[in-house]
Amino acid sequence: MPTGRDPETERDGLRDPSQLYFQADHVRRTIIAAYWIIIFLAVPLWWHTTSIERLPLPSALVESQAERELQFPIRLQVPESHAVILPRLQGLLREKTLGHPERWKGLDLQLSVSGSAPTETEAYKLSHRLGESLIDKRQFIHDLSIEQMPELSALLCDLLAPPPTHGNLVFQYSPRYRLAFSLLNEDSASGGYVRTWNITAGISRHISPILSRMSVLHNFTLESQVQFHAPLAFEPRSIPDGEYGLSQEDLTVFVNSAEWTLSSSVSNDAVIHFVIFAPSAKRRPLRILGSDGAPLSSNSFLLPQWGGIYILNAPSSMESSRDLSSVDLDSIFPTFSEQLITLLGIPRLPSSVQVRHANARNVISEWQLDALMRRRTLENTHGSQDTLRSIVRLVDQIENMPFGASVRGDIQNSLAALEKAYAEASTSLSHALTSSAEALTMASRAFFDPGMLALLYFPAEHKYAVYMPLFASAVVPLIATALREFMAWKRQRRGIAGGQAPPIEAAPARG
Amino acid sequence: MLADDAACNSRNKFAGSVYANPGRQLDLYGDNIEVDYRGYEVTVENFIRVLTGRVPPSLPRSKRLLTDSNSNIFVYMTGHGGNEFLKFQDNEEISAFDIADAFEQMYQKKRYNEIFFMIDTCQANTMYSKFYSPNILATGSSVLDESSYSHDNDYDIGVSVIDRYTHYVLEFLEGINKTSHASMQDLFNSYDVGKIHSHPGVRDDLFKRPLDKALITDFFGGVAQAEVFPPVEPQEGTPNSGEDGIVDVDVDLDAGPAVGVANETTRAQMSSPDSIHSWTLHALKELRAWACLAVVGILVAFSWSR
Repeated sequence: MPTGRDPETERDGLRDPSQLYFQADHVRRTIIAAYWIIIFLAVPLWWHTTSIERLPLPSALVESQAERELQFPIRLQVPESHAVILPRLQGLLREKTLGHPERWKGLDLQLSVSGSAPTETEAYKLSHRLGESLIDKRQFIHDLSIEQMPELSALLCDLLAPPPTHGNLVFQYSPRYRLAFSLLNEDSASGGYVRTWNITAGISRHISPILSRMSVLHNFTLESQVQFHAPLAFEPRSIPDGEYGLSQEDLTVFVNSAEWTLSSSVSNDAVIHFVIFAPSAKRRPLRILGSDGAPLSSNSFLLPQWGGIYILNAPSSMESSRDLSSVDLDSIFPTFSEQLITLLGIPRLPSSVQVRHANARNVISEWQLDALMRRRTLENTHGSQDTLRSIVRLVDQIENMPFGASVRGDIQNSLAALEKAYAEASTSLSHALTSSAEALTMASRAFFDPGMLALLYFPAEHKYAVYMPLFASAVVPLIATALREFMAWKRQRRGIAGGQAPPIEAAPARG
Repeated sequence: MLADDAACNSRNKFAGSVYANPGRQLDLYGDNIEVDYRGYEVTVENFIRVLTGRVPPSLPRSKRLLTDSNSNIFVYMTGHGGNEFLKFQDNEEISAFDIADAFEQMYQKKRYNEIFFMIDTCQANTMYSKFYSPNILATGSSVLDESSYSHDNDYDIGVSVIDRYTHYVLEFLEGINKTSHASMQDLFNSYDVGKIHSHPGVRDDLFKRPLDKALITDFFGGVAQAEVFPPVEPQEGTPNSGEDGIVDVDVDLDAGPAVGVANETTRAQMSSPDSIHSWTLHALKELRAWACLAVVGILVAFSWSR
């Protein structure tokens, strides 16, 4: 507070800095302290906004769940009248179980005499009858004499734990599938093309029975289309008799995915394709060639985990367009239904076994459905165990990967669903399957959580290079002034303690 | 992924095409190119999201990498790069660590069977040095502290149209059709340092198969397996023919592991039309250095004058 003016400074036109209000010690120190207070208050905010959210994961629980193995009890009952065969059958089946450990993994076969113990799940029953082997619901009718035991045990082994489909034809499990039926005319302009098809009849007669049977496992959506220009990406080779051939190598590149739009992209469900391909009039008939170059009798082929293709050779005499009636489709769609069965991984019955009261082909028996459900449940539990384990491993491995409440919630839900599947395995197969599918979906959703994207990697020298120009210039003066002020304050204190007269410039601060 | 719409750029005299050579023999753009990510969608984040599958649920099928444990994936990257990084969009870069971590995450979720990684930038080989996940075959155009050069300058457009390494790889691949039996070893043997003007590298320690058994078509051309289905009689009431009825005509002539139908050949391409000229790169570096000096000078002068 400069109340009076120093005559000397008055004369020079300059004022003594210590006389200025804002140079007073307490004001100056307050200003500097304000900067530091802001910095200290901002540190928690900066810490909060720059740190990655990494919630604790239930790692121990994941590890313990991942160790567990699902066990399905399979109860097989022998009629009381044939109780004598029990030890022999048991011995033979144990041999089979040991012979194919991968097929019997997770299956626990229990034999008993019927009526002896009440069971929680529906048991499989054996009945005696001479003649051909029959399946009726969960009953297996076969000759139960002691000489027939080796054959019976082999059949039971194939029915309860069918051999897996060779190759990787079978689609991976998905709760939802889309079936896309396409009728492709290679070139309608060349004449003799297929104009329409009675697809509704084809589906309802040949596909729907399978789909309704499989509705326990999957939810299906169907779509169909007709295209009039679907060129091939290669030239089929000409073979004798004015025919054209597709070599085995051509089949691998048959689908012209660049130019054929085979399914709508409305959803992300897995798509099973079924294509009827009508070759152009110029290249008819089109045959599939065997590896020896001779035409095969078959005119359909299967692409693993993709779908089936049927080549429809219209008579070359046909000039104008043609409509495929339901009768025409009756010769094509059985191929598709066979292919669908293969692609969905439905096990085949042993050739000597027939289904009783089968009024149509492709009746899926309870034995087949149960075996498929058991296999899918085991696959799903393994898949979710693997996924959960890999999430825990990745989170440990990649340190700047965030994971928030949604990931943890999904992991916990997945673990709960797994727990439920373990519990339900002994009571209800369909419930166990639903729970295992839920566990897999949840585990995948946790893995693919969009928030779980690791921060980009920057080397330490990058960080210094970015932060130094920004902060060094601001922080260095702050530190320097704080130090200077601290020294001045200490000097003042020492001055007071020593009983000396305080320096002049300190006077206003004291007053 | 294409950051620049070179085909439809108003400065491109040949609208709708991107030619690989001044003679305009080969149109890279073709009739059925699908660009899933373009322009400002091409970011490091989106690239990693596509690879790892961590995409929002609303994203359409075409923008996802729908692969599984049977899929072989081909990743090709080009642009401005350096020691362990590649530039995206002039404002960010992806480091070798990021790609390595993304591949590891894909491996953990079984999103691939094998990956073939190819990169054409300056010091490209540093980019695959950090990989640590199995079943990855990687190749790059140049070693550490070495530039990659452009090949052909098209005077009608005024830019270089292709890089040397890419040019010679493309020349080799153009000679391969979908039924070819050429192996990866053949591709790597075709590298000629004298022509490419840099030292291409191959990293196969993570790859399980011998290179002369790994076919080019395992990664290119979308080749699937096919299985001929036995004719089905349209009879009512016949039992199933049984599994032995299927004629297994396995077309995979390779003795190695089978490649599934989802043989997804995914091209993640980050390409810029102005190919890497070493002189532009050096000019840029020099410009940057001088600009830094100028800024520092101005700041010093400014503070002195006060």
